[in-house]
Amino acid sequence: MIRRVMSADWLKIHGKGLWFLAGLGPLGLVAMQALNFGLRYDYIKQEYAMDLWGALLENISFFVPVALYLGSTLICSLMANIEHQTSSWKQLLALPISRVTVFSSKLLLCLILLTISCVLLSAGVMILGLVLGFGTDHIPYGEIVRIGLWPYGAALPILSLQLWLSLTFSNQAISVSFGLILSIVSLFSIYLPEWVPLVWPYLAWNSLQPMFYSIFGILLGMLLLLPGALHFARKDVI
Amino acid sequence: MSETIIETKGLLKNYKGRAAVKDLNLNIRKGEIYGFLGPNGAGKTTTIRLLLGLIAPSAGTIEIFGKDLRHEKMNILRKVGSLVESPSYYGHLTAIQNLEAIRRILNVPKSRISEVLDIVSLTGEEKRPVKGFSLGMKQRLGIASALLGNPELLILDEPTNGLDPSGIQEIRDLIKRMPQEHGITVLVSSHLLSEIELMANTVGILHQGSMVYQDSITNLQQRAAGEMRLVVSEPEMALSFVENRGYTGVLQNGTLCFTRMNDTTVAQLVKVLVEKGHAIYRVEERRQSLEEFFLQVVGGVSHD
Repeated sequence: MIRRVMSADWLKIHGKGLWFLAGLGPLGLVAMQALNFGLRYDYIKQEYAMDLWGALLENISFFVPVALYLGSTLICSLMANIEHQTSSWKQLLALPISRVTVFSSKLLLCLILLTISCVLLSAGVMILGLVLGFGTDHIPYGEIVRIGLWPYGAALPILSLQLWLSLTFSNQAISVSFGLILSIVSLFSIYLPEWVPLVWPYLAWNSLQPMFYSIFGILLGMLLLLPGALHFARKDVI
Repeated sequence: MSETIIETKGLLKNYKGRAAVKDLNLNIRKGEIYGFLGPNGAGKTTTIRLLLGLIAPSAGTIEIFGKDLRHEKMNILRKVGSLVESPSYYGHLTAIQNLEAIRRILNVPKSRISEVLDIVSLTGEEKRPVKGFSLGMKQRLGIASALLGNPELLILDEPTNGLDPSGIQEIRDLIKRMPQEHGITVLVSSHLLSEIELMANTVGILHQGSMVYQDSITNLQQRAAGEMRLVVSEPEMALSFVENRGYTGVLQNGTLCFTRMNDTTVAQLVKVLVEKGHAIYRVEERRQSLEEFFLQVVGGVSHD
C-alpha cells in the first residue's frame, strides 16, 4: 500500500526542484568551506597543522544545524505545496487509501531526500579534504559519517513539526516563516540551554555525549509525529 | 426494485455553529443519474464531501453500496470516482503523468489510462503539461481521473462549471452515456435547473442545507412548467372563442396566456383555433426560472 502511494509521490515531485534542493544544501556547505580554506589556506595550515581534518569538520559543523532546518522546512513545504496548489487533497484523499498512509508516504519521502543530502554532505567533506591535500593517512572516516548523520537524527523533531505545519496550512508562508525563524535562532545554539530540542543538532556534534542528543532527537521526532498524523487523519478537507 | 446505492439518514454538518447541511435524507438508486440542485452555498459541495469521507458528519449516517461509510470507507471509495469543485491536477505534470499518479494508487492496469483519455476525448493532448490546458480540458481530465478506477458510482460536483456551450454539451453527453454504457450510477450537482433537466432522471433540490424537493425529473418539469403562450391572428376574437369552450386565459400585449396544461390540451386548443380560421404564429411554453421555482418550493418550508 505505502509503496504504491510513495511511487505516486515520487512521480509528483518530478520537476519541482526537490532533488535540486537536496543536492544544493550539502554542496553549498562544502563550497563555503572550500572558499574558507582556499582563501586562508596557509594560515589554517599553520594554525591547525596537527589536525587538518578536524579543523575542516569543526568549521563545517557550525553550519550543519541551520542547513538541516532550512532543508527540512523547504522540502516539507515544496512537497506539501504540490497538493495545496490546485487543492489536490480532495482528489487524493477521496482515493481508497488511508490518510495515515498518505502522511507516512510524505514523511518517508522527506526523510529519503534529507538522508541523500546528509550522505552527500559526508561525501563532499571527504572529497574536499582530499582535494585540499589533507592526506590519506589519517582520514577520520567515523567522524565524517557522524557529521552527516547525527545532527540529522537530532533535527527530526523540527522535521516532524514542519511536516505537520506544511500539510495543515495551505498558506506555505506560515510554515516557511516558522522554519526560517527556527533556523535563525538555531545559529545562536551555544547561548541556549541544552534541554531545548532546537539545540540538539548542534550538541549532536559539539558535546561530550553527541550520540545521546541524536537519539533524543529521533525519539522526540517520532513522538511528535503521532499528534501530527492523528490530526491529519481526522481533519476536514475543505 | 433496483437497489439503493447511496442512502443517508439525518445527515448533519455544523460549521462554526451554523448547519451547512441538516437532516438530509438522500436515496439514490442504481443506474440513476441523480441531479443535485441548489443555489450557491446551499450545501451541495458539503454533502458531496461528506459522501466521500473528506469531512466527518456532525450527526447522521451514510450508507453507500449498503455499507456504512465510517466502517468500510476504503471498500466504498474503491468503487467511487469523484470530481469535487474545481478540477484537481498537478500542473507541472502531463495528462498521462497526472493519471499515472492516481493509477499507481488505484493499482489498475496501465492500459486504463489511454481508455479514459479516449472516453473524455483528450487523446492527442496527453503529453502536454496540464498547466497549459484550458479549463474545459482540465475538467475533462478530472472526469478521466474519476473514471480511472472503473467506478460503480460517479460523483461529479458542478462538472460543467465554467465551460463553454460546446464543452457543456460534450460533458453532458458523456455523463448521460455512463449509466447506459458502463452501468455507472451518477450523482451530479449543479446550480442550473436547465443543466440538471437535460441530464438527470431524478432531482433533489437543496436549500440552506435542507432537502426541499426530491422527485423524478418528469414530475419536476410538470411542477416547474409555467404558462402556455400563443401568438395568433385576431387575438381578442380568439380569446373570447376559446373562453366559451372552457379554457381560461388572459390577453397580454396581444399574446394569449394560459396556465400550465398538458400536451393533449395544448393540441386540442391549437386544433380548435386553426379550425376557426386563426393563423397561429407561435406556441410557446414560458418556463419558470429556477429562482421562481425555488421561491415556490421554498415557500412551503418554515424558517427557524
